[in-house]
Amino acid sequence: MSNPSAKSSISGSKPVGKPTVALTIGVIALLITSIGFFMYPKEVASSWLLASAYSTAIGLGLLLMVMLHHIFDAGWSTVIRRTLEHSLAIFPWLALFFLPLIILSYFEPSLIWKWMDPHFDLSTIGGHGTVGSDILYVKKSALLNFPTFVIIYLVSFVSWIWLSSRFRKASFTQDEDGSGAHTTTCRKMAALGIPVVAFSSTLIACLWLKSLDYHWFSTMYGVWFFTGAMRAALATIALICIFLSRNALKGLFLRSHMLQLGNMMLAFTVFWAYISFSQYFLIWNANIPEETFWYVIREHGNWRYVGYTLIFAHFFFPLFFLLGHRNKLIKGRMIFICVWVLLTQLLDFYYNILPYKKDGEGNPFEFGVSVWDVTALIGIGGICIWAFLRSFNKTRPIPIRDPRILESLNYHE
Amino acid sequence: MSNKVYGLLARFDTPAAIMSAAEKVRDAGYKKWDVITPFPIHGMDGAMGLRRSRVPRFTLVGGSLGFTIGMSMIFFMNKFDYPLIVGGKPFFSPMFAFPVSYELTILLAAFGTIIGMFLLNRLPMHYHPILKYDDIHKSSDDQFFLVIENSDPEFNKAETNKLLSDVGSLEIQELEE
Repeated sequence: MSNPSAKSSISGSKPVGKPTVALTIGVIALLITSIGFFMYPKEVASSWLLASAYSTAIGLGLLLMVMLHHIFDAGWSTVIRRTLEHSLAIFPWLALFFLPLIILSYFEPSLIWKWMDPHFDLSTIGGHGTVGSDILYVKKSALLNFPTFVIIYLVSFVSWIWLSSRFRKASFTQDEDGSGAHTTTCRKMAALGIPVVAFSSTLIACLWLKSLDYHWFSTMYGVWFFTGAMRAALATIALICIFLSRNALKGLFLRSHMLQLGNMMLAFTVFWAYISFSQYFLIWNANIPEETFWYVIREHGNWRYVGYTLIFAHFFFPLFFLLGHRNKLIKGRMIFICVWVLLTQLLDFYYNILPYKKDGEGNPFEFGVSVWDVTALIGIGGICIWAFLRSFNKTRPIPIRDPRILESLNYHE
Repeated sequence: MSNKVYGLLARFDTPAAIMSAAEKVRDAGYKKWDVITPFPIHGMDGAMGLRRSRVPRFTLVGGSLGFTIGMSMIFFMNKFDYPLIVGGKPFFSPMFAFPVSYELTILLAAFGTIIGMFLLNRLPMHYHPILKYDDIHKSSDDQFFLVIENSDPEFNKAETNKLLSDVGSLEIQELEE
């Protein structure tokens, strides 16, 4: 048994990972990306939107997992909750990463979101007239305008940063004073936070990604963003815990915990398919041009094969792989499927974001991975890993005085 | 009444005792035996050397059957039996057939699970030799029992009896068929 009277000083335990290496790689990649911006502003801006939306989705999934743990008063996940809390240290950085797109859009409104520029000539992307005279824009302009965009960005990130710092503080303070009151406070915070995050992440998904094609209608989009966020976050936390099980979480992160993460990944695989299919099915069934065009441009060129790849690689393969019980108990196989899901989820973001870039005929440019996508992702990823490791090495690896820690340490399927 | 031996029953009074006994019985190579405890003991499946349940296979068969039946039923009905154009859609498309097939997948997967559970547990079972043991009701209170069946190839009355007393049982009883 651990000694609960021990102070929280963790001197003697070896720091995990190499934060400086992650920081160096991240900064170099960010520098390359920013040099690229001056050469190809439009291309780098969309790569940057892809990378920052993807990492924000992962951050939101991690925040939701902490809140799910608290709201269900879960036992098994107590061991991995501290790792989740440390991963929430990326939120201020995520806010900072999106800021350049807002500042650039202020000076160059048609850089990404065409609706920001009322004088934008729609004939350059296969339409007619200008954005300001477009009835679909006029009717949606109550939400789609620059001040609202900025305010929703600010309110969302302030509430996410506030929530994550409250959960972190309560958990770290419990290590010191061992008071059970923190657990109750966190449960109430989660009851408040889940609707807040549900509402704000839906707005963010609609403003950042869905409004790229502002003609479109879909009531599924916020839920699609949520499922993607959860799938990517589950794969991320499983990867981090498997990595940490060699050092800080050795003997603490058990096979039964990994199995539960795998089970949740399976559940969200099915949920993702449910949501994505429902969106397609409703639009196919109603057959209204204002909605179908979104899928029609995604059947153009090689985007059609991206769509097929998503069906098989992002649904059927993970479904049958994760149905296998043994696959969720062997570390190597879990690492494989986590990396797989992270990559196919990224492909889903490509599929949802990039076809907004169209030629004069209104057809999207072919699908391709640009070097700026890679540098933007490595840059943001490097900074996020640095922020996580810097936070991780400051406290104990598990919430040692949580009322449910013993239950979690002895967790058995 | 036949006097055929069903097996040997051993009594323990702590979870730890029956857990270590189960490990030794497992290591002695017995296959047809079971433990009866008042509550689930975590780790007992490992101590008994139990494999995963085979019920999921029935679930998979049921689910696949449901999906196939749903798709082919709608295909036959809409394309051949009673072709009808609805909303300008083709006679058959997997799109609109999907929700119904999906419901049938869930329904038959659930049936498969229930049927598989009954078959594998050999339910309904109205009589079991263990009920002849007078104190068996204590297995739902504070006593732990381990039963090795006569039909086990390793079973030998004298040797099994010795093994059970070696692993620390408090009482050993012979059960009649």
